Amino acid sequence: MTQEHQGGTGGWSAARKGVWSRLRFTSLRLRLVVVFGLVALTAAVSASGIAYWLNRESVLTRTQDAVLRDFEQEMRNRAGALPEHPTQDELQRTAGQMANSSQRFTVLLVAENPDGRTVYGSSGGLNGFSLRDVPVSLREAVTERQRITSNNKSPHHLYWQRIIDDDTPYLVAGSMVIGGGPTGYMLKSLEPEAKDLNSLAWSLGIATALALIGSALLAHAAATTVLKPVQRLGAAARRLGEGKLDTRLRVSGTDELADLSRTFNKAAEALEKRVADMAGRDEASRRFVADMSHELRTPLTAITAVTEVLEEELESEGGGIDPMVEPAVRLVVSETRRLNDLVENLMEVTRFDAGTARLVLDDVDVADQITACIDARAWLDAVDLDAERGIHARIDPRRLDVILANLIGNALKHGGSPVRVAVRECPAEGAEGMEGAEGAGDGGDVVIEVRDHGPGIPEEVLPHVFDRFYKASASRPRSEGSGLGLSIALENAHIHGGEITAANSPEGGAVFTLRLPRDVSARGASEKTGDNGDEGTEEDAR
Amino acid sequence: MGQNEPVPSLLLIEDDDAIRTALELSLTRQGHRVATAASGEDGLKLLREQRPDLIVLDVMLPGIDGFEVCRRIRRTDQLPIILLTARNDDIDVVVGLESGADDYVVKPVQGRVLDARIRAVLRRGERESSDSATFGSLVIDRSAMTVTKNGEDLQLTPTELRLLLELSRRPGQALSRQQLLRLVWEHDYLGDSRLVDACVQRLRAKVEDVPSSPTLIRTVRGVGYRLDAPQ
Repeated sequence: MTQEHQGGTGGWSAARKGVWSRLRFTSLRLRLVVVFGLVALTAAVSASGIAYWLNRESVLTRTQDAVLRDFEQEMRNRAGALPEHPTQDELQRTAGQMANSSQRFTVLLVAENPDGRTVYGSSGGLNGFSLRDVPVSLREAVTERQRITSNNKSPHHLYWQRIIDDDTPYLVAGSMVIGGGPTGYMLKSLEPEAKDLNSLAWSLGIATALALIGSALLAHAAATTVLKPVQRLGAAARRLGEGKLDTRLRVSGTDELADLSRTFNKAAEALEKRVADMAGRDEASRRFVADMSHELRTPLTAITAVTEVLEEELESEGGGIDPMVEPAVRLVVSETRRLNDLVENLMEVTRFDAGTARLVLDDVDVADQITACIDARAWLDAVDLDAERGIHARIDPRRLDVILANLIGNALKHGGSPVRVAVRECPAEGAEGMEGAEGAGDGGDVVIEVRDHGPGIPEEVLPHVFDRFYKASASRPRSEGSGLGLSIALENAHIHGGEITAANSPEGGAVFTLRLPRDVSARGASEKTGDNGDEGTEEDAR
Repeated sequence: MGQNEPVPSLLLIEDDDAIRTALELSLTRQGHRVATAASGEDGLKLLREQRPDLIVLDVMLPGIDGFEVCRRIRRTDQLPIILLTARNDDIDVVVGLESGADDYVVKPVQGRVLDARIRAVLRRGERESSDSATFGSLVIDRSAMTVTKNGEDLQLTPTELRLLLELSRRPGQALSRQQLLRLVWEHDYLGDSRLVDACVQRLRAKVEDVPSSPTLIRTVRGVGYRLDAPQ
């Protein structure tokens, strides 16, 4: 949650940022689930492993002890009762009797008959339990004669071993009747015990799996409780970045996340205060300029009125003015006019800055409007107009005139004549600088191109041509313009929802391209000013 | 201007001394007879005494402001009023036009522009043809320059009368606001269409039976206005 938001309003698109952060959140969630799962798995596996082994040992030992005790008993009672060299028949019968004990094992008795031959007696018949089934090591241990010590009171013992034959576990045990007699072996299937243990293993496995699932769900829940506030924080940071400085988080609890939220709120508050301070200062200076130009107007009105009287005096036949004073009067007249223009432009700029500029819309023929603009300024000879009548647009004619006068005037001043002005219609395509192609079907745009035949605009100046009071070179003497013309033209295009771009033509000369929507009100980009409503219900144009 | 033409008399109401003096000087040189007043109250008094042909009225006045002066004049008089507004903040213009002004000029005003506007407004009262036209209960007598509705005389300002005349000259034909601005106000191509809208509204209030649902002066959406005889 740190790095994905510190970008703020950087170059990243909001959508991409969103996807990115969601991916990150998911991975954090995933990590939590994995860690929880591992912990649960380890715990469950070791617990059930230990339980399994303990169980297995106790089950097997109990069974084994019972079986061996019986076997020993039988050996002592029945095999011990046999003569030292029994016959095959005797041996066989005894084996059968021994196997009939409560523990259901198979018995094999080995002895030497009176002829000195080895005879076998098996409870399971000859195919059943034979000496081959008894591991050699066990046979050796059983038949081996041990020395008698204080610890070892008999030369032979009962030995046992677990074997697996055909996937079935068996218990094999062997013993010898002390003092000479048959050797007895016993085979007991441990299958029921193995089955019990198997089902125990299964239930332990299922329990482990359940524990895993439970832990995953828990991890998910834990991740959600942690990530929810983080997501909220992220969303709040994004809103803050978008300029909604009054964004605050609800702080609940006393944990680290609540602490973070509190810090965020404090930071947002500080930021808001800072921005408000700056906006206030900005506002104050803007108001100063606005007030100043207001104040300038009153004396300027008086001066202008009087200057005209002087001007008429200059032009009147017979010259009522002293030739010595004449240059001075001319200077006053021309500079007053400049001052007038400057104050006029300043007023216009302050209106744009304060957001009080409004459109007064009317339906106009664009070509007529351009012709009138050129005509009114006596530019007809210097401008080459390529426009067909009949292109109508719903715009503010005064503002269009301001734009045209500034663009053409600028072209004439810097590029020299002939200035070529071309008008064409363009289908709405949400082109350069326009926000979205929401205006589909509203008649598209009107594009007016003003091209001069001068040296063009230097590359390093190009990005600044619309800046206020920007002079192409500091050493250049002050030009006739106020330095606000192109900036005002651009603002006027913007208030229409249009755009002006400056470029150099490949054939030489600068090209200014003005793009205006044909119907501002239909595009809903701006105020519904001057939209004279239906029959009888005229709206105020405000 | 011909020599025989009577010199129009103006009343300039402006509180700033410098502007008043300068404009008086300029307008006098343009051939007008100018009386001046420094406040709305003085101006109203002078108006009753001197009966000028036209009033040039500053909006920002101490005491009663220009809008109020305008409203008071309109209660009794239909003489043309040109507003002098220091700001062309749109609210000023709209309020001014609603209170009954015929035209407005933004400071710093050029004497020549003001003169042209004054002459254009004064020309609106001139008669030119001598026929009459009837639109329902409305009778426009072009020779006497009077309009009667149901036999009663209507009090129209010269601008309202001129607007009605221009519309009645082309009955059933829609005229754009820019056309009307040229015909009635004699503005150049940059006329403020709100002048037309405000004047149409005032005219409707006087000639229509129900001003909110006009049957005579119809709005033609996307074009302008049209005068229809009611069916």
